[in-house]
Amino acid sequence: MNNGQAHVLLIEDNPGDADLVRLRLVESQSDVQVNCVTRLSDALACLEVETPSLVLLDLDLPDSHGAETFRRIMRKAPNVPVVILSGQDDEALAIKAVHMGVQDYLIKGDITSKHLERALRYAVERQGLLRALEVAGKQQIELKNQFLSHVSHELRTPLTCIHQFVTLLLDGLDGPMLPDQTDHLKTVLKSVNQLHAMIRDLLEASRADSGKLRIEPRCIDIGGLVRQAIAMMRPTAAEKQVGLEAVLDPAIPLVSADPDRALEVLINLIDNGIKFTPPAGSVVVRVSLVETDPVAVYLSVTDSGRGIPQESLRQIFERLYQDPNAVDGNRAGLGLGLYIAKEIVTLHGGRMWAVSEAGSGSTFSFTLPIYSLAKLLLPVITHKGHLREDIVLVRVELTPLSKSLRGSWKETCEQCLDLLRKCIYVDKDFVLPPLGTSGLVETFFIVASTDMQRVSIMLDRIRAQVGAVPRLKASGTLQVTAEIIPVPPAADLRNLEQQIRGVAAHVTEIIQRALTSQQNFTEKENHKHAN
Amino acid sequence: MQTESYGERKPINRAKIMVVDDDPDLRQVLSLRLRANNYDTVNVCDGYSAIAMAQKVKPHLIILDLGLPAGDGFAVLKNLQDYPALSVIPVIVLTARDPEGNKRRSLESGAVAFFQKPADNGELLEVIRISLQIGGWRGLPS
Repeated sequence: MNNGQAHVLLIEDNPGDADLVRLRLVESQSDVQVNCVTRLSDALACLEVETPSLVLLDLDLPDSHGAETFRRIMRKAPNVPVVILSGQDDEALAIKAVHMGVQDYLIKGDITSKHLERALRYAVERQGLLRALEVAGKQQIELKNQFLSHVSHELRTPLTCIHQFVTLLLDGLDGPMLPDQTDHLKTVLKSVNQLHAMIRDLLEASRADSGKLRIEPRCIDIGGLVRQAIAMMRPTAAEKQVGLEAVLDPAIPLVSADPDRALEVLINLIDNGIKFTPPAGSVVVRVSLVETDPVAVYLSVTDSGRGIPQESLRQIFERLYQDPNAVDGNRAGLGLGLYIAKEIVTLHGGRMWAVSEAGSGSTFSFTLPIYSLAKLLLPVITHKGHLREDIVLVRVELTPLSKSLRGSWKETCEQCLDLLRKCIYVDKDFVLPPLGTSGLVETFFIVASTDMQRVSIMLDRIRAQVGAVPRLKASGTLQVTAEIIPVPPAADLRNLEQQIRGVAAHVTEIIQRALTSQQNFTEKENHKHAN
Repeated sequence: MQTESYGERKPINRAKIMVVDDDPDLRQVLSLRLRANNYDTVNVCDGYSAIAMAQKVKPHLIILDLGLPAGDGFAVLKNLQDYPALSVIPVIVLTARDPEGNKRRSLESGAVAFFQKPADNGELLEVIRISLQIGGWRGLPS
């Protein structure tokens, strides 16, 4: 307490003890201001208003006891040093508190003014050092990230140049190529792509380190995503003569996940699986539900490779981990893949782990949360803890001109959905997942947190962008409509969660009505066709 | 309730694309790729020339880098909006910069699409094609 007057917040409900501590404080140094409260709630209120130099804390208060008392104080004021006033009988608890970040403890009845002064001064000094370390650490991470971001940008420009000229040659735009030349250029392109992936991983890992990794969860059909991942990895597996298949439980519900990120995780695990499996082995992707966990879907990738020794299993998710016994012919890479994958899964609120026995393959598993409309709408329809004032549901309907076009209709709809996602504001609007029917009419919903006027701008954009899709123009019609979702009045004192659930229920009802009418339309069409 | 169906559009012929990039090699290779796909190209290397050239040649579409001398890509986007004749030209941002932050800012500044380098040629050409259609350009006036 070197600089100026020290403010001590004394939290002690026994007036005798409080007076004694106050006396000792005044004896020890004149320039100290003591503010004494008797309840935890009062202390928390004080900390709200001003930050003292130090908190002197009795653990047993009328409204809080034991460890909970210092936990709540430290949560409220994480940067203020706390010294505990302990009785003879609860010294063990005081020691535990020191382990958890309290600076020191003093035994009541055993406090001299010299002792007290020294304890308080050291507590403040130590806390200051800790704080300085923390700040320096953050600065260092920030500097590292700036450096990486700069370097990766500078690396990308020449890499793009190589990529562009190589693809130019490969596409025959500079004239025909000999087969050997094509082969060699393909090898160059493969290496360019590897380099590109490494630059991306470097940036991703540095983002993960500083908590800047972002995901955009959507409602996805995880089975479809697994099939997509398998289709993408099939050539790699075939090249190595490794079997690749999916085992999908048909009852898997929709999942809330960032499709690109979830695909990235799956590809990473499948790629690793193939890499460590010898020819004629197999890699199996499973999606299943676990009875004891009703909120998550379980995904796993099992390979029949040589497995991972127990001692390595613990380090495998660490950044820069590389297999010391890597198989010949595989470039090692940066050792960031599993680290990033685990970070992505953790961001989704899921878990990732590996099980393996040396010699009999390994299984990498992760969980993803099951889709809940209310949870998905939360970031879109709320702003600073309140429901947004205007919520509009936009409906985009694609109707094929003729049933015979059904073959390519699905792809056309997917293309439209991709475009639709580009027509919205990411943080204020949300494209709900396509409805799970196999109907002829494809309906997409967008929940928009804005008024009708701005929605009409969005509708124009959708009509221009989606309406211009050539395949849609050739094979179907587009209809875009919008309706206002009633929002509970601001005076309504129901809590936010209930309000969101109300909006979610309303939207679900509309979606269900749309589903029913779609099914009716499909039945009518089928009937017409049958006649 | 608002309802509307779209109408028919005519196919496109040969459009003029302006490439704005400070890297000469990238300008060259992108132009080659575009010309091979039946587009005319005009190349400029900085933000100032981008506006001057746009006024002169009235391109049907602009491919714009973000890191540029003499007015970065965002300044170009803003300046284009200031001229009614130029504000209708679709702009595709093609940059080595990170999409985070830059993508949203580009789209909000009037760009129709954002690509990070190196971009997939097929995707880029598809977006160029669609953007030219949305931009209402239907081939050379006869």
